[in-house]
Amino acid sequence: MVYFLRRIAFFIVTLWAAITLNFIIPRIQGGDPAQAIVQSFAGQGQGVDPAQVQAVRLMLGIPNENLFQQYIDYLKAIGHGQFGLSYTYFPYTVTHMILQALPWTLVLIGVTHILSFFIGTAVGAWAAWRRNQLFDSLATSISTFLGTLPFFWTGLMLLYFLAFKLGWFPDSGGYSGHESIAFSFSFLKDAAYHAILPALALLITGPMGWIMGMRNNMIQILGDDYTRLARAKGLSEARIAMMYGARNAILPNVTAFAISLGGIMGGSIIVEQIFNYPGMGRLFFESIGNHDYPLMQTIFLFITVGVLTANFLADMLYGVLDPRVRRGGR
Amino acid sequence: MKVSRRSVLLMAAAPFVPIVPASAQGSSSEGMVQQLNLGSMGGGTNPQINFNPFAPNKLSLGTMFEKLYIINDYNCDLVPWLATKYTWKDPRTLDFVIRTGVKWSDGQPFSAKDVAFTFNMLKKNPALDINGATQLMSAVSANGDTVTFTFSAPAAQAFYQIGDTWIVPEHIWSDQQDPVKFTNPKPVGTGPMLFDHFNSQELVYKRNPDYWQADKFKVSGLRYTKPAEGSADQLRLANGEYDWNAMFVPNVQKVFVDRDPQHNHYWFSQGSPISFSMNLTKAPFNDVKFREAMAYAIDRDAIAKKAELGYVTTASQTMMQIPGQKDWIDPKIADQGKIAYNKDKALQTLTSAGYKQQGGKLLGKDGKPIQFNFMVPAGWSDWIQAAQIIQRNLADLGIKMNVETPTAAIHDQRRASGDFDTLFTVPAGLCSMYTNFSLPLNSAATAPVGKNATSNWIRFKDPATDKLLAELASTTDPAKQKPIVYQLENVMMTQYPLIPLWYGAVWFEYRTEKAIGWPSESDPYCSPNDTELVLMHLRPPK
Repeated sequence: MVYFLRRIAFFIVTLWAAITLNFIIPRIQGGDPAQAIVQSFAGQGQGVDPAQVQAVRLMLGIPNENLFQQYIDYLKAIGHGQFGLSYTYFPYTVTHMILQALPWTLVLIGVTHILSFFIGTAVGAWAAWRRNQLFDSLATSISTFLGTLPFFWTGLMLLYFLAFKLGWFPDSGGYSGHESIAFSFSFLKDAAYHAILPALALLITGPMGWIMGMRNNMIQILGDDYTRLARAKGLSEARIAMMYGARNAILPNVTAFAISLGGIMGGSIIVEQIFNYPGMGRLFFESIGNHDYPLMQTIFLFITVGVLTANFLADMLYGVLDPRVRRGGR
Repeated sequence: MKVSRRSVLLMAAAPFVPIVPASAQGSSSEGMVQQLNLGSMGGGTNPQINFNPFAPNKLSLGTMFEKLYIINDYNCDLVPWLATKYTWKDPRTLDFVIRTGVKWSDGQPFSAKDVAFTFNMLKKNPALDINGATQLMSAVSANGDTVTFTFSAPAAQAFYQIGDTWIVPEHIWSDQQDPVKFTNPKPVGTGPMLFDHFNSQELVYKRNPDYWQADKFKVSGLRYTKPAEGSADQLRLANGEYDWNAMFVPNVQKVFVDRDPQHNHYWFSQGSPISFSMNLTKAPFNDVKFREAMAYAIDRDAIAKKAELGYVTTASQTMMQIPGQKDWIDPKIADQGKIAYNKDKALQTLTSAGYKQQGGKLLGKDGKPIQFNFMVPAGWSDWIQAAQIIQRNLADLGIKMNVETPTAAIHDQRRASGDFDTLFTVPAGLCSMYTNFSLPLNSAATAPVGKNATSNWIRFKDPATDKLLAELASTTDPAKQKPIVYQLENVMMTQYPLIPLWYGAVWFEYRTEKAIGWPSESDPYCSPNDTELVLMHLRPPK
């Protein structure tokens, strides 16, 4: 019980620290949001009219109270779930912008993330079972090779060959211009078609970590005494592989997976940039460039809370699964 | 809904839509230009419906709204549009005669009252006044077909800001409690295009058949799209997916024109001059002789050829845009104020002013080697390359210039507060001569180092220049403005407050498959930025 209480207290303290840092960091970044927004719409190297910068400054109503008062207001707003109006997409609210982008990221990144985990774990287990044979050497060498390729490069290559040279897939976006967002078969089909290329890019690099992790865990477990005992008892190969090897080896991977779920949103920036995908990553990236404090802050908050919650749940899960953790050093 | 089907039809990427002859549309498509594919729809990476023409994040308006005058961005011609005429009663009173017979796209008549309403709204909501049109305006009123503006000070330059402001309908906008937050989802304007449909991938306009110059307007529709990321968008251009775009393309001849030499064309005209700008509160930049030497020390041709890929031309020290504004240049100024690279002359100027070269280093008047920083925003690669060329040019004279690249936001902040030695600025290139000189040189637009200056970042202070600017503001007759502008050019030629280096390019790629009559180097009737003028000139190919 003490263990769980301690974890909960730790969770609350880190959450507060994250929320506070989230307030401070954008503000020490420096720079004038109005200037940044006008320049970003005008384009690099273009002169901007000071009258327009002044108008935007008035439009956004950039606060001029002291920082402490702003911090109190910020905490209150978070408590009420009010995140204000986005600077870049004024007068649309931050919530509106996030709700629009979130499903795209959750579906694309979430699905590929889960698929990566299952594919990686299965391949890793099979490679460990057939260790030092053809499949193992292929799986480990190919995954090491692919894993070292920079993600943006893989993405651009896919884009160039499959979208431009062969024209099999659309080059960008989440759906076609002639579709409108609706829960209809033709829209879902179109959205799925647009998701194939980015998903493929994620699935090429995604399973690598899981393969190596699973393979190494399982090789170790297959060498343990109880596995040898199982073999000596004459249990079937399949049973040893699944119930003795894979079942025990998967535990660290499950925790790692729970933790990695929190990072989904942060990991979506590059893929969404490359494929011009209308999700959270692009929104986040743009909000930083434009000094869009309300939007940036809220996305930061989502990411940190996501990571913290995932960690917290993993801790809890571990406590349940493994009594030794619960009892601490005693 | 009928019309949106039509736009679907014209999309190359919709193979499953049955091909119906364009004449099935009913309206006379004879002699019409088909829907044109344009580039960016505006509104950022996650575009939202926003047709508030005064919002910075509005979508591309596609000529839905109109202005009193169109100021031709290339040759500065003043084209009467929603107004037919303007008269200055005195430098504080400006009259516009408003065009009659114009209708809003919802059928209501357009009148002088709408014009007065628009400017009163901007005055009441300065957050909408993106041109600064009402900064000096004390009142505006409509009387019959005439709208009269009065100003609190002589404001000859205000014509450009007022003429260049979108006019919106009173009967729609007067219902808005907070027009700053109005996204105008059902836009009503006077222009040749009507809003058809929008989603985050495309924005489509159709021709307004009841437009007041409908007989001269032949383009049946516009389709803006969300641009693909960086180089992917260039591939789209190369594939002929855009009829009109404005993007930077390296090696445009090979990447774009050679793909379809019959239809693919480009014209990169001259935009605003980009200037080497010095913090005049610091030594050695407070020495006019040092600044003069800088004007000769920088190899503008190398910058134009290498950093800007030969897409641009070198700038005149007068700050005027050549060729568009060449008539404004004092004929007594040699070579239209273009200064050629001359290292020897630069060195000579420096040594005769008391600087010494010693051991390959240039020593200042205090005997210490001259070195300073140059600030350029991170990631602006052509500007960084240009800075590196300057760095080498100055090293030849024994001056050490360090190039630093803070983020754009930090760059802008330090520029405003005067925390820099040297940098690039883009001060002029507009048709309002007053604004061209006032933004960078007016002492009212500056501030002490440590305080934010609005546009005179170099902190130039010269009572004679301020007096010339005040004179220009009270001179409404263009013929009488010229001698004053000549004197301001001579300030540039003798005091070198800024060193204009090259004219930023106006990117413009176009295809002649669906339409001809585009502005070009041989027929530069306007800048590609003058969307209305370009569209009025387009005709179907023969």
